Amino acid sequence: MNELHWLTIAETAAAFAARRVSPVELVSALLSRIERLEPRLHAFVRLDADLAMDAARAAEREIAAGRIRGKLHGIPVGLKDIIDVAGLPTTCHSKILLDNVARADATVTAKLRQAGAVILGKLATHEFAIGGPSFDLPFPPARNPWNPNHHPGGSSSGAGAGVAAGLFPAAIGSDTGGSVRNPASCSGIVGLKPTYGLVSRRGVFPLSYTLDHVGPLARTVADIALLLDAMAGHDPGDPGSAPCGARNFGRELERGVRDLRIGFIRHFHETDMPAAPEMTAAIDDAARVLEAEGALVRTVTLPSLNEFAAVNRVILASEAWSVHAPWLRTRPGDYGQLARRRLMPGAFIPAGDYVGAQRRRAQMIAAVEDAFRDVNVLLCASSMDPASRIEDAAETARTYPRQARTPFNVTGHPALAMMSGLSEGGLPLSVQFAGRYFQDATVLRVAAAYERATEWHNRRPPIG
Amino acid sequence: MERDLIIALAKAAGLEKALAEHPDDVAAAAAQAAETGGAIRVPTDPAVEPWPPMRPGIGQ
Repeated sequence: MNELHWLTIAETAAAFAARRVSPVELVSALLSRIERLEPRLHAFVRLDADLAMDAARAAEREIAAGRIRGKLHGIPVGLKDIIDVAGLPTTCHSKILLDNVARADATVTAKLRQAGAVILGKLATHEFAIGGPSFDLPFPPARNPWNPNHHPGGSSSGAGAGVAAGLFPAAIGSDTGGSVRNPASCSGIVGLKPTYGLVSRRGVFPLSYTLDHVGPLARTVADIALLLDAMAGHDPGDPGSAPCGARNFGRELERGVRDLRIGFIRHFHETDMPAAPEMTAAIDDAARVLEAEGALVRTVTLPSLNEFAAVNRVILASEAWSVHAPWLRTRPGDYGQLARRRLMPGAFIPAGDYVGAQRRRAQMIAAVEDAFRDVNVLLCASSMDPASRIEDAAETARTYPRQARTPFNVTGHPALAMMSGLSEGGLPLSVQFAGRYFQDATVLRVAAAYERATEWHNRRPPIG
Repeated sequence: MERDLIIALAKAAGLEKALAEHPDDVAAAAAQAAETGGAIRVPTDPAVEPWPPMRPGIGQ
């Protein structure tokens, strides 16, 4: 058996069922690893070892008594610190909310607990899930386990760092402009932004109401499917929640991609925002791998990536200003500089520009829906560059916007990013797959086929 | 965006304190806002409605 900290959810569930490992043993092993590596990675804003051990003991008793709730029973999970856990602070990594103790679980937290997951604690994020790695906040920024001098991606940065480093097998983040898929890309794991409305946002601090999504991060595609099984479902407490039931998202994982039609959006990384050569090579290789697996790959053209990004920025800035205006007026100095600069633009955007962006968004959705009449899944870049050096603010500012994740926040289609190579500098490269509305299972099917055909998911960061 | 306009808009938005304490950040935010919208091809057809459309609920 693998070392405990590298077990996937599926492997762990099998080990629990066969009594080869217990939840208490696993959580104890992870807590020891966290104690050793956390000073270098800063994945946590708050680790609650007592809460985790209590939950692990409860899971152990139930499993021993044969009352196994499912594959997540006894599985340790970290939550981005914008997601409420009853009794714990939701700080959003900000001085503004240092004393903000949640009175109830977010719906996604409650669903994970119901499935038997063990909540380990709250994870580092960019302040209020915006900006970038910052050093003027109450907590340090998370660092990349492949090289701690680089950032792990964000804004769900602790989620990416912790899953990649083997501190926990799964984490939950949020994604408004790519914040689940960016850490998945930078940290060499898998991250899914589900279809808009599939996973409840109730109890998750908002950044942009019409762009926000909640999604899982894990080391394998199968684990993402298991997490989504627990997280998905209609929630009347979320106005954006879709009337859909939970389902078996892993049902297509073994089907392969033979005869599946895949649209390759080359212009995103070739002309709109030319990617670094090694990233381009990794993306092109992913297309070749899927073609070799039997998929029919054809080039697809969508509106320009720069326009998708502009629509995302106008909507995000306007909606975020609506959320943050009261604090920006009274407590501007309690924000870090990056978040302050990224949250105030909404004050200068006319209402007509916001509505104009939403109207253009409707056309962009129609364009992507049109593409999906001919293909089952889209393939494109996620990031255009490997992760920047965390203390090089200029490099981070230059590379951070160079990404192709925002189109699927604008449209709400499901999108997954995963590792597709290693740079010369030893940092993860990535690729992205997007699917039709509520066909998240098909996105996972393609990602699983790519995963089986390659070895990237078996690579581990040299963190020890 | 000109400095006087930035100040006027910031004051209209209630950002007097930010203007006093973080004037460079206010200017940077205004510059971002000015750069942002230009790339969008806003529909000229008045029939194109915004997303999300209005939802009347489920009638209960």
